[in-house]
Amino acid sequence: MWSVEIVEVEVLEKDERNVRLLIRGVDVPFVNALRRTIISEVPCMAIDEVVMIENSSILQDEIIALRLGLIPLKTDLDSYNLPQECPCKSEFGCNLCRVTLTLDVEAKEETRTVYSGELKSENPEIVPVSDKIPIIKLARGQKLRLEAYARLGKGKNHAKWQPVSMCTYKYFPKIEVLSKCDACGKCVEICPRKVLAKTENKIEVRNLMACTLCQDCVEVCPQNPPAIKVEHEEDTFIFSLESTNALPPERILTEAIKILDKQFNEFEEQIKVEKGEES
Amino acid sequence: MIIPVRCFTCGKLIGDVWEEFARRVKAGENPGEVLDSLGIKRYCCRRMLLSHVEIIDEVLRFYEEAEKRKEAKVYY
Ligand code: SF4
Ligand code: SF4
Ligand SMILES: [Zn+2]
Repeated sequence: MWSVEIVEVEVLEKDERNVRLLIRGVDVPFVNALRRTIISEVPCMAIDEVVMIENSSILQDEIIALRLGLIPLKTDLDSYNLPQECPCKSEFGCNLCRVTLTLDVEAKEETRTVYSGELKSENPEIVPVSDKIPIIKLARGQKLRLEAYARLGKGKNHAKWQPVSMCTYKYFPKIEVLSKCDACGKCVEICPRKVLAKTENKIEVRNLMACTLCQDCVEVCPQNPPAIKVEHEEDTFIFSLESTNALPPERILTEAIKILDKQFNEFEEQIKVEKGEES
Repeated sequence: MIIPVRCFTCGKLIGDVWEEFARRVKAGENPGEVLDSLGIKRYCCRRMLLSHVEIIDEVLRFYEEAEKRKEAKVYY
């Protein structure tokens, strides 16, 4: 059986878009599962179907539809269902699994840019994260009228449904300067991330977090064996995540844990069923 | 043709900063510094803006000219 150890999480940085966590007491399979769940399983809202009513612009319908799909929309996970889980069972969708956005623009006077802010949503909560995304440019007399349907979806089906634009982890570095070091300063010079610093007759680790474990400092050390050792902690990771702003980063994390939990339970159930069948 | 909505590689939204980027670079600022101040950190996203050419402006000129001609015909 799998023994549960104490997992410690420390928030290193956080703003409305990014989080950087220090996670202690887990292994690679776990953090990687968390990363993959965030990328491919946490749902968010994106335009999925577009009905073109009129398009006399110079971009084809498909290109405009693709551009609309890629616009990240603010997502409300509590009031909407995934289309395949919605009780309406309809392919077209209902109020609980679909949001309609409309666009009706015309260049009357001169050439103009149409921005994402001009999309009118039936739900004022589900709107593009930025009002300034150019959708298309229209010359005078050109028109674009369309109706777009946004749905919840998962990153494994299309990247537009990924709630993050970056989600990575790296090992927590461990740097040790041995006593035989003569402070020649070569390692300080070569380090691309300015991790090390020289003070009088000692080498000091200034910015441990920035180390990429590239081992340049070890290779450059004139002593044999090298007087500096760069390793990584086995059970500590720096986990960074950048949201597309569709969901707040902390919500993405809690949602991912919930999904992971559900999948583990389902997996356990399946094993139990199969064992039962065997005996 | 027109600035992509997201970075091709990582999927970060970059369409919304294009106009400010283009304006400031045209005004003579250093493109790298503009990107830093707009919070575009990764080089995949930076190349999206740095290497972009807004061809749609060139294509639209034909349509603008056509409109002008139509107008001139009506006038005379
Ligand atoms: S491993 Fe690379 S980044 Fe880390 S301290 Fe050495 S030279 Fe710097
Ligand atoms: S290169 Fe080696 S000997 Fe020179 S300062 Fe660094 S650790 Fe010490
Ligand atoms: Zn990118």
